[in-house]
Parts: sequence; structure tokens; C-alpha cells
Amino acid sequence: MGKVMLEVKELKTKYVTRFKEDVFAVDGVSLKIEEGKSLGVAGESGCGKSTLALSLMGYYFAPLHYISGDIIIDGNNISGMKPDDVRRKILGTEIAYIPQAAMNALNPTQKIIRFVEDVIHVHDKGMSKKDIYDMAVERFRILGLPPEVLQKHAVELSGGMKQRTVIAISTILSPKVLIADEPSSALDVTSQKMVIKMMRELMEKGFIKSMIFITHELPLLYNVTDDIVVMYAGQIVEKGTAKEMVFDPVHPYSKGLMGSIIVPEEGTRDVQLEAIPGTPPNLKHPPDGCRFAARCKYAKPECKVYEVPEKDFEDGRMYRCIYDVDYLKEVYGRNG
Amino acid sequence: MKHQLKQAFSSSKFVLGFVLFSIMLLLAIFYPIFSPFDPMEMVGSIFYPPGTYVSVSDTVQATYNGFNIDPSEAHLKAALSPENREKMKNWLVRFGGVNEADIDIEDTVALVDLWDAHYSSDNPQEGLLSSEKKSYSRLDKSLAKAKTGIKTALYTENSDGEMEESLIISDRDYVRVNDVANTVTLPLGADNFGADMLTKLTNSIRVSLQIGLVAGLIATLIGLTIGLLAGFLGGLVDNILTFLTNIFTVIPSFVILILIANSVGQAGRGPFVVAMIIGVTAWPWTARSVRSQVISLRNRDHVNLSKLSGHSLPHIILNDILPYVASYVVMALILQVSSGILAEAQLSMLGLGPSTTTTTTLGMMMNWAQQYTAHLSGAWWAFIPVILSVAIISFSLNLMNTGLDQIFNPQLRED
Amino acid sequence: MKGFAKYYGKRIGWYLITLVIAIFLNFLLPRLMPGNPVQTLVSEMMGSSTNATAAEKIMQQYTEQFGLDKSIPEQFIIYVGKLLQGDLGISFSQFPRSVGDIISSSVGWTLALQLPAIIVGWILGNFLGAIAAYIRKGVDKVVLPIFMFISNIPAFGLAIVMLFVFSLQLKIAPSGGAYAPDMFPNFSLEFIGSLISHFALPFFTMVLTTIGGQAIGMRSMSIYELNADYVKYSRFLGIKDRKIIVYVFRNAMLPQITGLAMSLGTMVGGNLVAEMIFNYPGIGNTMFSAIGARDYPLLSGCTLMITIMVLIANLVVEILYGIIDPRVKAAQQESEN
Repeated sequence: MGKVMLEVKELKTKYVTRFKEDVFAVDGVSLKIEEGKSLGVAGESGCGKSTLALSLMGYYFAPLHYISGDIIIDGNNISGMKPDDVRRKILGTEIAYIPQAAMNALNPTQKIIRFVEDVIHVHDKGMSKKDIYDMAVERFRILGLPPEVLQKHAVELSGGMKQRTVIAISTILSPKVLIADEPSSALDVTSQKMVIKMMRELMEKGFIKSMIFITHELPLLYNVTDDIVVMYAGQIVEKGTAKEMVFDPVHPYSKGLMGSIIVPEEGTRDVQLEAIPGTPPNLKHPPDGCRFAARCKYAKPECKVYEVPEKDFEDGRMYRCIYDVDYLKEVYGRNG
Repeated sequence: MKHQLKQAFSSSKFVLGFVLFSIMLLLAIFYPIFSPFDPMEMVGSIFYPPGTYVSVSDTVQATYNGFNIDPSEAHLKAALSPENREKMKNWLVRFGGVNEADIDIEDTVALVDLWDAHYSSDNPQEGLLSSEKKSYSRLDKSLAKAKTGIKTALYTENSDGEMEESLIISDRDYVRVNDVANTVTLPLGADNFGADMLTKLTNSIRVSLQIGLVAGLIATLIGLTIGLLAGFLGGLVDNILTFLTNIFTVIPSFVILILIANSVGQAGRGPFVVAMIIGVTAWPWTARSVRSQVISLRNRDHVNLSKLSGHSLPHIILNDILPYVASYVVMALILQVSSGILAEAQLSMLGLGPSTTTTTTLGMMMNWAQQYTAHLSGAWWAFIPVILSVAIISFSLNLMNTGLDQIFNPQLRED
Repeated sequence: MKGFAKYYGKRIGWYLITLVIAIFLNFLLPRLMPGNPVQTLVSEMMGSSTNATAAEKIMQQYTEQFGLDKSIPEQFIIYVGKLLQGDLGISFSQFPRSVGDIISSSVGWTLALQLPAIIVGWILGNFLGAIAAYIRKGVDKVVLPIFMFISNIPAFGLAIVMLFVFSLQLKIAPSGGAYAPDMFPNFSLEFIGSLISHFALPFFTMVLTTIGGQAIGMRSMSIYELNADYVKYSRFLGIKDRKIIVYVFRNAMLPQITGLAMSLGTMVGGNLVAEMIFNYPGIGNTMFSAIGARDYPLLSGCTLMITIMVLIANLVVEILYGIIDPRVKAAQQESEN
């Protein structure tokens, strides 16, 4: 077992809406990533994936608020730190973020290199502009980005180029953990491939030590990440290796989610495509018991009453359902 | 519609603007009805200050009531203008040997006491011209008069048509204001023509609002038509109309306004004509904003569906476009009314405003106050209420506009 | 860079066309009124003039100048021809001074007063708007509405109030003019002091009326920018708020330059009338006396001069904006492709 880069224990955060209502979008999430590993987070839109990404940064501002839980990066618990300290000492160097809409993530009126300087100066005030430039050119070149990009403004770059530039800037300080929130979903296929390639390279070249990759595109996860967690209504409902999760899901929701995609592997061609009926619960008032019960075709009355504990296995697999594995497998087998 | 109104009234800015505007509107409609004067009636004379005026004749004829109050201090106060106080101080320091620090010119009683103790016309007063010496002696006499009180004799015409003394009025005689038969109240004084300011002002507010409304409606109608056609038809029509619109956005509209107003000439420039002139020069930016709205609507599904169903152009514009731009048009109209009122005031200040002798506008009132240099003669009542009225109307309309903007552009909402 | 030059070439061309149209309107509008305008005006002038030879001379001058016996298109060509030589005619009311001479002696005063006033008002307005957007609460609820109210007072209205308060009541400002009436322009310290003391009141009046409108625009733009994705992203890279605010306000302020250009016409209009209240010897005052004296050539010269100044200001703003805001450059390149 490698060194643990990121450990999250029972993290709870909430959104406060304009009307002062609380939305519990991350409600007791625990996860762990080892050095050199990547973890995928999957789920429908509105399940709390993006909020989880923001919450993992350990730096909160309205409308997002911290409630409880721990975020431990390389043995260092950042949950108790002052926000300003998190910003100065953690963000960028320990943990970094790639936003969902990278199209607008860069200040349109600033040259890329000026922004890189600003980022580096937060953590290393003394570094000269020339050193920064040389370092940025080197890093851009390794990552396959033309260094001329540095002299341009964001508005002059194409969508795919902007996204790759954002990735390069996010990782320029070689963070221990990288959180990527749907980094490729708004791009065309070619740009998507380049982005995915770049994410792999980051890991191989050691520019990042671990990665959380959030997406609703499951085939991507299977190709990119080592492990996958499935999120539903602010909670993790199942955890496993990429292979297990795609070919052998246990939780009825994971099963449904995997059933709604086509994985280009032999044997999956015959699987019937199906959508999960219903909509996710309103997180302003999370339901009692299993949160998926209302949409689950195997649910029985007690599902809606009792809180379901996480069931852990020796190999790191986890799921959250009152049925045991054998029963579920049997039911799945019966239904084809 | 009902829903949108309800939304509008949920914005505090809109409500404040609406209330301010309503107050001005109600004042403009109702005050002239209840006012005892006609707005154009020259009741008094130039720049009478605000206050209640009582008939002198009626006052002396009314019932007298004696009061045991010494009126001399008030008389002294009234007799001593700031200039005179300054003069007394100078004399006391120069010839009376009084320390400058011991004189407080605001304290009437103390000042007069000092004066009585030191002043004497026999003082050599070296360095003063004889005319100055005389003026000091006059001042001394008037002070003495104010102190002792003046007895006034009343003469009335007897049955033979001769004037005879009927009564000596003491300076402790008072008349109850309510007992005076004829009084005139000018809450905001009189303007340069001697007309009651408040009646004239409220009348002007009404006329200016009418001018603003007519100008705003004309500008909005032209702007809306051009914007709709340019935005919806596109192509060559759009190119031509946009070219025109851009040109008239860059050429300052008040220049065209001045040129037209000057050409129409004094005789032809009634309030309605001025409103029309303002309207036909103010449309460009309404056209611009309507056009950009229409362009964003043009390819919406419901419009395409309507096109495919073979509906005519007027039908599509009326049913599928107009309802969606309506809120913007209302906002544009509100701003146009406000800038129409300002444009009228501006034209009037330049001497190109409405030429009429039967009514007045806010701009005309400001122009007259300026012509008669009210601001340099201290007649604040002749211009400050007018300027405030313009500002409040314009402010209230802008507030309503901002309130609506926040509703239709949720980005700007206050959390 | 080639696209850049081409773009601005086009824009300058467009402004030239606009100028021609403005000149045409300046020429045509007065001629649309019934009767022959120049003849009417000249005869009016002659009626009130005691100087018969001067009136006759003017009549002669104008028959020649406007080519009164020719058709409208021909007259326009004559008008433009004279204009190109800088000949705007002779003033009726200040005979025998030429319009060009009168205007050139007043245009400097207007520029010296309005240009700094509008720029300072714009900067302060943007500053206030940015603060209102960032701090909200007190500034947004109290200070901003006060300036909003002031900006709704027409400049000339505020001018009257300012004169009343500072000149008549407090006696700390002169009652009008550009310098003390008993002085002659020279470079003495005393004269410059007089210039400044006469400059202050009109300047602050114009600044005060400009602030509110600009602040409102800046506030909206800043709120919009504060919600932009790059703000969140920059925060997550650890960049300090102080730095991010610089990004935000720069981005919000740049479009405000166009906002300034859009409202320039209205602003200048109000300020010109304010000039008249302060008896400041600029174009506004000249225009006012031209209207009062029915001095048509002078009025026409003033309106043309104002139009040209506004057009130039717009063009300068547009070019400046294109150079400093890369977003515009990108949009230009897009439209080229």
C-alpha cells in the first residue's frame, strides 16, 4: 500500500440559497487516495459531485459552507486551518483545482504569463519574472502546449487550448492532489482526447501525485482512473476499482448508472440500455432511510425508514444498501 | 402581466421610485384644483418671499388686544442688519476704546448696551468723513426709536369725507391673525411675475410630465418600429436601419434638437410641438436595445414554428416577438419620459423651449428664474423647488427603471 | 496587425460618413422651415439694426455665401466648399467678427472645462460603483443613492444651486466668468489664481452630475464580473482577494469606456447649458447668445463644432478601448474571419 495522499473523513458541507435555505449537497463523504492513484467520481447531475470538488479544496466562501469532517492532505489535516492560511499554504501547492467551465476560468483581459506570475508569487514571492517564464515555458513544452500561448490573452485561445492551459496552470506548482471537475465534457472529441492524454502525462511525469476526476461520462472514468466512487444525493453509495465498478456494480443505483452507458468492451453489447426512472431527491430536505429508495425497483418498506450503514470489504470495496451482495447479484442475474 | 406587476413591486427600488413619482403626479393633478390662484395669475410682485401676507388695512381695523410684552428687543433685532452690527463694532473698537474680543455682534442686547455706554456724536471721530459721522448718528437715532417704541396714529375718513385721527396704536397692541379678513399665503413665495410659485410649479410639473410622456411615446414608438424591423428582417433592411441608428447615436441628439427647435421658430413652438421634436430626436438608443433583443429572439423555437405555420409578418411580430420585448420597451419608455423632461428643461434654458403664454413648464420656470437672476438676488424659492421637482421626477423614474432591471436581469439582484 | 489597421480604417471611414451627414443636417434643417431662412433672418436683423451699411453688407455677404438664388444641392456644395476653407461666415450679432474667430476663441474654454470634468467624474463614478459592488451595505444603500439623486439634477440646475450656495450665501466663489472682470489674460500668478477660482465651481458641478450615472453602470458591471468563473478559479489557486479585485475592476471598467462614449452627447449637452449659467466663455455661452440674438450663422457654427468634438471624442474612445481591451481585439479578429 502506497502513501496516502488524500484522506477525507465524514465531510459535510452545505449550500445556502438566495432564500436562506440549506442544501446539503455533501453529506458525510469519506474517501482515500494513495500516491500515484486516481479516483473517479460518478453520478447524475445534481448529485453533489461538483460541490464535492469545491468542498475538497478546504476553502469555503458563500454560498458554500463547511459543516463538519476532516480533509487530510499527506498527513496534514487542513480542516481546522484558518481560511487565509489554507489559501496561502494549501491551495495551488498541496491541492489544486480544474474547474468545470474552464472556458471562462481565465481572466479575459490578462496575458496568460501574467496570471502564471500571480499564481507563483502567492507561494514564492521572490521568484523573478524571468525564472517564472523559463519554468512555465519548460512545463508547457513538456505538456505539449506551444509556449507562445503564454504571451496571449485567454480570449485569443480556442476552447480546447484554453482548457489545456488551465490544466497546465493549475498544476504548475506540482500539487499533491488534483481535483478535476469535468475537465473535458464541454470539448469536442479531439480536444477531449488531448485533455485526457494530458491528465495521464501529469501523473506519469510526477507533476501531480494523485487525482480526483469528476465526470458524468463513465467510459472516461474507466479509461482514466484506478478507482471509482458513485455518488447519489450527497453521499457515496459505492466504491471500488474501475473494473469492478463498471462490470460488477453492487448497489442498485450503480447498477442502473452502469446500465445506462455503453462500455466498448466485449460482452457488454447485449446489455439492455436503460434509464433510471424518477429524479434525485431534493437535498434541502434529504429523505429518511436510503436516499435512493424512492427510485429503487428492489426497495422494500424498511428501506425508507432505516439509515443504511456503509458496508466495507477487506479489499477496499464499499457499498450502501440493506441487501447483501449475494442477494443483489442473484436479483441482477434473474433480471438479465 | 399581473405576475410581472407583482414582481415589480417586490423590488424596494421600484417601490420607492413609484411612490416618489406618484406623489409628484398627485401634487400636479390636485394642487392646482384646490389652489386659490390661477397658475398664470400675477397676484403679487417680483420674488415675494414665502409666507402669509396680511392686509394692513384689515389689520388696523381688527380688534386690538393688549399684551404685556416688551417689544423693544424684537424691534432692535429687526432694526439691526448684519451690516449695521459690523459698523457698530468698528466704531466701538476705533473710537469707544472697547476691546474687540468683548464685542459679540450676535448678542443684540449686549451690543446695544455697549453702544449706549460709549457712543456720543460729540466724539471727535478722527479719520471719519462727515457723511460717515452722520450715518452713525442716524443709526443711533433709529436705535433710540426702536427702544422707546413708536406710537402710531390711525386716521380714517369720516362721514364728511375728511381724514381724522381715530386712534393711537400702542406698540403693545396685537391683532389675532385669524381676525384679519384678507390674508394671502404664498407657501413658496412668488416668482418673477409675482405669480404664486406653488400653483405655478404644480401646473408646470403636469405640463412637463405631459411633454415627457408625449416625447417618450413618440421616441419609443419610432425606436420600437425600427428596432423590430431591423432585428427581425435582418439583411439589407437591418444594415440600413442599423447604419442610421448608429449615426444618430453618435451625433448628439441635443444638437439636432436645437437645430430643429430653432428652425421651427418662436411662433410654431407650442408645448406639444416641442414634445414631438424631442420625441423624433430621442429614438436611436431605444431602437438599438430593441434590435438586440429581437435578434436574440429571432431564432427561438416558437418564432420558427410560427414562421413554418405560415403566419404573416405582422402576426409573428405581434404575437411571438412583442410580448417578449415588452418589458424592455416599458423600461425604455420610462427612461425616455425622464430624458424628455430633461430635454425640455434644457431647451427652455437655451431660450428654445415652448413659447406659450397660457401655461408653463419646469424648464420655462427655470429659465425665467435664471433670466431674472433669482439665484443672485437670494430668491431661492424661485428655482430650488423647480430644480428639485425635475430631479425627483427623473430620480423616481430612474429608480423604477433600475428596479425593473434587477427583476429582468437576475445577475444584478441583491441577495 | 493588418486586420487591426483595416478595422480602424473602416471605423474612421464610418465616422467621416457620419460627419458628412451631420454637416448635411446642419445645412438642411434650418432650410426646411417655410420661407427663405437666410433672407428672413437677414431682414429681421436689418429691422433691428441701426447700422444700415452693416446690414446691407451682411445681406450682400450672405447672398453670396449661401448662393441664395441657387438650388438646394448647389447651395450645399457652396456651403461645404466654404467649410473646407474653414469659412463659417460672418456673425450677425458681433459683426464684423467671423464665426470661425468667435468659435475658436470659445472652444478652448469648453475643452479645458469639460474634458477634465468628464474624465474626473468618470473615474470617481467608477470608483464609487466598484466600492458599492464590493462592499454593498452602507455604500450601496446610502452613498450611491445620494450620488444617483445628484446625477438626476440637470447640470444646469445644479449649476444654479451651486452658484446660490457658494457664491451668494457662503461668498467663497465668484459669481461667474472665467477670470475676474477687471483682469487681462497674462501669466501672472494672480491671474492664474483667478482662473482657478472661477474654474472650480463649474468643474465640480460637472463632476458631481457625472458620478452617479457612471457609478450605476460600474456597479452592475462589477457585480457581473464578481460572479465570473475566473474569480472562483483564481481564489482556488490561492491568489489574494486584493489581486482578484484588480482583475475584476479592470474588466468591469473597460466596457465603461464605451458607456462613457454612449453618454457623452447627453453629458456635453447638459454641461454646455451649465457653462451658460456660470457665464463661462465657452461654446455653450456663445450658443446661448447666438440663439438670443437670432445669430443663425453663429448658432450653426456652434452646433457643427459641438458635433465635431463629440465625434472626435467617440472615435478616440473607440480606438483607445480597442487597444487596451483584448476582448475587443479578439472580436475584431473574429469578424475578420
